[in-house]
Amino acid sequence: MSVLYILIPLALLLLCGAVWAFFWAVGSGQFDDLDTPAIRVVMDDDKKPDQDETRD
Amino acid sequence: MMASDCFHCALPVPAGCRLTVEIDDEQHPVCCPGCKAVAELIRDTGMSRYYELRDAPHPGTGRPPDEAAEWRVFDSPDMLDAFTERHDDMREATIYVGGMYCSACSWLIETTLGRQPGVASAEVNPITHRLRLRFPVEDSDLSGHLATLANLGYQPQPMSPEGAARPEVTEQRTALKRLLVASLGMMQVMMFAVGLYAMDFQGIDADMQHFLRLVSFFVTTPVVFYAARPFFTSAWRGIVARKPGMDLPVSIAVGSAYAASVYATYTRGPAVWFDSVTMFVFFLTLGRFLEMRARHRSIDRGAALSSLLPNTAIRIDNGAQTTVPVSQLVAGDTALIRAGESIPTDGVLASGSTSVDEALLTGEARPQAKGVGDELSAGSINLDNMIEMTVTVTGSDTTLGTISRLSEKARYARPAFVTLADRIASYIVVALLVVAAAVATFWYFADAERAFVITLSVLVVTCPCALALATPAAFAAAGSRLSQLRLLVTNGNAIEALSRVTLAMFDKTGTLTRGMPRITAVFVTDNTWTEKDCRLIAAALESASTHPLARAFAMPDKLPVVTSQKIEVGEGISGVIDDHEWRLGNAAFVGGGIATDDSSATHVFLGIDGSPVAWFELNDELRPEARETLETLRKLGIATALVSGDNRIAVEAVASTLAIDDVHFECTPEDKLAIIEGAQQRGERVVMIGDGINDAPVLAGANTSVAPAHGALLAQTSADVIMLGESLAPLTTAVEMSRKTMRIVRQNLAWAIVYNALALPLAAAGFVPPWLAAIGMSVSSLVVVLNALRLNRFE
Repeated sequence: MSVLYILIPLALLLLCGAVWAFFWAVGSGQFDDLDTPAIRVVMDDDKKPDQDETRD
Repeated sequence: MMASDCFHCALPVPAGCRLTVEIDDEQHPVCCPGCKAVAELIRDTGMSRYYELRDAPHPGTGRPPDEAAEWRVFDSPDMLDAFTERHDDMREATIYVGGMYCSACSWLIETTLGRQPGVASAEVNPITHRLRLRFPVEDSDLSGHLATLANLGYQPQPMSPEGAARPEVTEQRTALKRLLVASLGMMQVMMFAVGLYAMDFQGIDADMQHFLRLVSFFVTTPVVFYAARPFFTSAWRGIVARKPGMDLPVSIAVGSAYAASVYATYTRGPAVWFDSVTMFVFFLTLGRFLEMRARHRSIDRGAALSSLLPNTAIRIDNGAQTTVPVSQLVAGDTALIRAGESIPTDGVLASGSTSVDEALLTGEARPQAKGVGDELSAGSINLDNMIEMTVTVTGSDTTLGTISRLSEKARYARPAFVTLADRIASYIVVALLVVAAAVATFWYFADAERAFVITLSVLVVTCPCALALATPAAFAAAGSRLSQLRLLVTNGNAIEALSRVTLAMFDKTGTLTRGMPRITAVFVTDNTWTEKDCRLIAAALESASTHPLARAFAMPDKLPVVTSQKIEVGEGISGVIDDHEWRLGNAAFVGGGIATDDSSATHVFLGIDGSPVAWFELNDELRPEARETLETLRKLGIATALVSGDNRIAVEAVASTLAIDDVHFECTPEDKLAIIEGAQQRGERVVMIGDGINDAPVLAGANTSVAPAHGALLAQTSADVIMLGESLAPLTTAVEMSRKTMRIVRQNLAWAIVYNALALPLAAAGFVPPWLAAIGMSVSSLVVVLNALRLNRFE
């Protein structure tokens, strides 16, 4: 059980790192758009050929 | 019944319209050549997946403008400097994109513009509806990009560069950070709590218990002081203002549970509630976050005001005309306004005569004639002739700006409304802590050995989780279900307020009626002409007019050719077809006509060479579902009333059709507000349903308010609930849903109270071992959450 005395503080340290990383990501605007990225993922897979397609 | 709806804009396809668009080898009906062009453009740029990805559109969105706007002016160096910022060899323009309604729209815009030559980057922010467009200085085709947006069916509007970040963006970023801290904190603390509960079964290693409590304390502290800070600050503001809001009891509950836990940790007391604290904060923060998102999605306060005003105006300096951004107009300037343009500032008509459409401001649907010296209001539309005006007041001091400020103020002044459920829950939390302390004291003196275990059981069994979750869980479930039912809740109090409403007040134009007149009858008085001929000729004559009535005459057929069209202010329109002079307008203008007594309708006469041929009766039609909706409301025990700025006859006609007894006509926004306040003083709880800008202060003054999404943006900023789609029917859904939600909240509270009332005495008397207490607590929380989730199945 005594290993917990090391592991839990370690986990908390990692937690702090994760929170810091998230704060940085939010601050740099990566989470300003919460909807469109979900769609972009779907789109990029499927219909690429359209880009070079030319219609008159 | 219409056969089908337009594939692009979802408006009904007019009878006889055979236009279709081919997408993915399938023919889809469209309602007009404009929609066909937009759909074909989207298809030809390879973006047809847009139609699969978008949410169901509000009917009428995405329609291209009736006439091509003048974008060319934005290419002049002056305008480029006014509307873009230079970064080295790049220009950056901020463009407000009207008509965006879902994430597929931002995808469509970013991809289409991003592929255009001469665009370095295009980023859309769906919260603020702003597009950031970067393009090289030497290839500045701003007008071309604006035209592309317009061709896609959006209403672009270049904005002056904004230095600071938009408040919505800052708000969302902060809220996201708080939510993350609360959710991560909750997960961690719950994990430690499981360990602590497990130790209650297996016997406690005192050092390990103390360690886990300390760790929980370290994780909970930022949750309380960072994530829950908005609750504390708002509670403090409430105390200072002597109007305690709903955040005060919440703060007391969070604060006291946290303080008691800290004390228990420090003194190695019987139990800690860090898990309850973090969970309570997490659910509250989540609820607030979802609410904020709904509010942002539907509303942009700044753009709500400015989207009604033109971007540019023509200023006359010593006879020379220059196009300037509206923001550069100052009092004393002379501005030129062409027919069909909206008036940029408040002012006085300096030369010319015209009629203006002031419906946005006053709700009066009929055009108002204006001569030299008459006052003009920003946001109204110049209908007939080119005029010159002297600018008197600009910006936020205009009538339009004042109305928007008035509505802000009324919203702010709304009496602080403490939700019953929050109050009960929070007080009980505090009461439980007091009882626990009393039990501990009693047993300490009665039987010190058992005091510890009994107090532990009391605290675990009465864990405030179920109480804390009773309301937030139900409101979160209701909010998400309502948005699936096309109702956006932008104010958390709206659900409780709606459930207790006793009186529904409706605005007329645009809310109960469609807001645009239609031809309801044609009477041909000269038998040489058929009804069809008359309608075609009228449509041809009106094709050049920007008058609101003109749209009623529009026909999809091929129209006869009209030459020398002329508009006479306040009289009508004339033109030559096949060498005959046709006139369309009032009876005198046409050369006599039959007087009719029913003045709730508008009558328009048609004449040839000075003798009348036919007359048209135009009516602002009632929405087809209005009658049924109002009947359902009355069945739900809600009285109905009508307040309108329109004239007596028009209002009473609508009232009698819908069987409304309580009718008020020719009301100014101040009158409407007074009527609502009067009703509130009689003890009525009022929901106001309105869509116009003039309704905004009234919406804010009512106990709760609903605005349809097709109405003025400013009305939506003042409303608590926004109805997406064209129909009034969701209103009854909202009322029934809110009542059901409150029923579930009451059930949850009752369950939590009964559970505690039974468990507490047993635990206090020492009959409940800690392990049974832990099971009881978990089950009671689970019951509350599952009960709230029933709301998701509401039809």
